[in-house]
Amino acid sequence: MDIDTVKRRAGPREFGPGDDMPREYREAATRMIQFHANSEIMGAYIERPFIRQAPSLDRKLAISAQVQDEVGHGQLLYRAAEELGIKTREEMLEELEAGEGKFLNCFHYPLDDWYELPMIMFFVDGAAMRRQATLKRTSWEPYAHAIDKICFEEGFHIKHGEDILRTIATGSKRDRERLQAAFEKWWPRILQFFGPTDDQSTHGEFAMEVGLKTMSNDDLRNAFLNAYVPKAEKYGLELPEYPRVEYHESDDYYEVYEEDLDWEEFFTVAKNEHPTGVGQIEKRERTQAAVEWVREAIESPEQGGVTPATADD
Amino acid sequence: MVATEELSDRERAAVEAELRTLADDEFVVAERYTEWQVRGPTLEADIAIANIAQDELGHARLWYDLLEAFGYDQVDLIWERDPDDFRHATLVELPFEDGDWADCVVRGYLYDTHEHLRLQALEDSAYVPIADRVGKVRGEEHYHREHAQNWLERLAESREGRERVQGAVDRLFPHALTLFERTDHEEAIVDTGVRPEPIADLRAEWRDIVSGFLAGLGVEVPVESAEELLPEARGRNGIHTEVWRSLYDEFTFTYRQLGRSEAPSLMPAPEEADVDV
Amino acid sequence: MIWEVFRQEKEKDYHTHVGNVHAPDAELAKQYAQIMHARRKPANSLWVVPKEKIETVHADDPGTEMGGTTQKQYRWATNYNTDETFAEEIEASQREQEEAERDLAEADN
Repeated sequence: MDIDTVKRRAGPREFGPGDDMPREYREAATRMIQFHANSEIMGAYIERPFIRQAPSLDRKLAISAQVQDEVGHGQLLYRAAEELGIKTREEMLEELEAGEGKFLNCFHYPLDDWYELPMIMFFVDGAAMRRQATLKRTSWEPYAHAIDKICFEEGFHIKHGEDILRTIATGSKRDRERLQAAFEKWWPRILQFFGPTDDQSTHGEFAMEVGLKTMSNDDLRNAFLNAYVPKAEKYGLELPEYPRVEYHESDDYYEVYEEDLDWEEFFTVAKNEHPTGVGQIEKRERTQAAVEWVREAIESPEQGGVTPATADD
Repeated sequence: MVATEELSDRERAAVEAELRTLADDEFVVAERYTEWQVRGPTLEADIAIANIAQDELGHARLWYDLLEAFGYDQVDLIWERDPDDFRHATLVELPFEDGDWADCVVRGYLYDTHEHLRLQALEDSAYVPIADRVGKVRGEEHYHREHAQNWLERLAESREGRERVQGAVDRLFPHALTLFERTDHEEAIVDTGVRPEPIADLRAEWRDIVSGFLAGLGVEVPVESAEELLPEARGRNGIHTEVWRSLYDEFTFTYRQLGRSEAPSLMPAPEEADVDV
Repeated sequence: MIWEVFRQEKEKDYHTHVGNVHAPDAELAKQYAQIMHARRKPANSLWVVPKEKIETVHADDPGTEMGGTTQKQYRWATNYNTDETFAEEIEASQREQEEAERDLAEADN
């Protein structure tokens, strides 16, 4: 298939493993899905310490389940990417460990304590859900198929995240102050979740033309703000003065003053060069290196004949 | 055995003691298992150990729930409880060395085999609420044991795997024996019928099973007597290893930081969930 | 090793392909399949098959002409026009074939 045919046919779930897709499409799709898979893993990695921190049995169960789901989503997505024939799951995981795999900006920053947890579990996961809902119409069918399952499972993540937020927001004055501080810290990063507006985004245009991406960064961010600014307000969170976010009632549109956001930091993060992000990648690389022996042991069992010891002697 | 409200003091003490060891074991083993989440050797192994951790937490929840009949709530039983009051075996509190997946599966195997025997004995508990819940727990534990066995069989096929498994067995076996240590109430537990089989009998059975299985994989199991092997810290006697305190401090940190005084539930209580609508 | 997973929702349903798992052997593959594809919605049964054992035939394979190349209308009830009326089950068969023909025609466009 040539690229013009791809662009002409591009539509929801239009292409699958049986189609002879041009290299450009396959690379673009791999890039997108790999980024998504990496983000699931690195997001899970950021949240995992809070399984231990959970202040009740049920919360512990729920957070363990969320983290488990995210690893599962990574598994589904790597598989959907693998089917494009560009990289194997192993290669993508190696790239992630080596600091070459890209992932969502928000997961390059540490979560310092429980007060910050809803920022990821509610706002960031909420933003991800918003994007995922649009990906149900992506042109690469295996990706859409994985998204179906992800959407099915992730509803509870955001609802649980909201429950955590609500518990803190209806707590003591100190709780609410700490929550507001956490929100102000994370808000700029959350606004940058959808990336720069389309004229600055490198791969966005092609992805839209071939139907991989079905909504622009701008529209996605607007949809997110529409749903989540009222939520923030509901829980007593105040949007900081900067970065400026202005709601235009006539267009039902949230104008974000992009110049108020630190795009230099964003691009450093995107290149995996931001210090805390580097720290996360390296920490994970060490834990993966520590279990490398297991993968080797089960892949190629040595033929060193085992003589089962007899219980006596 | 009569209804909970009508138990004699001795019966009540026996039920409580047995429940506490069950619940504490499950809670702490789960807590350690969660350390493997997002750090497992493969994505699938990761998801599987998470499942096991959640099952064990679910079991802890069932047993702690039964203790609430004695006037305690979750805060009393976990979050504001004196760490020295916990009665889990030392096996389950031990930390994992980075990448020591062999420890994870050996620990799981030793623990789950003990569980299998203990739950079997509890199926006939004279205390009905325990007997009623055993089936649910056994159903999941069976799967855990299979998981551990599959992994051990697989690891033992290679020299490196077998060495690591041997190392884990050497280190963990003495602590696994503490699963069978008696609480102060062992006599009452047996003669009131809370657990008709003495824990010492279960230990003998357990040693036979695990020795047989592991020997079949080319892994040696210590043969000395329990008295020679048992560590000083035995868990059931309220004495834990030096790592327990820091683990306790870790999992209670946020509870204390938030200044909480209750532990929210997100699901209906077990008895309510059991009612068929 | 990669194992493809097939899931049967209810007794008597066909198994459908739902994904794959990486596992060193069949035992772990079966366990993983249960957790990944049946922990929220219990399935009636799951099959795991080593990916390398799956044989495929693809429409684009050289020398493959699924359905043949010469006229085969004789296989279709719709081919036969008589003035007879037919039993219900014959009519149903014809309707199903008409639908299939429509689908085929759409796919070719």
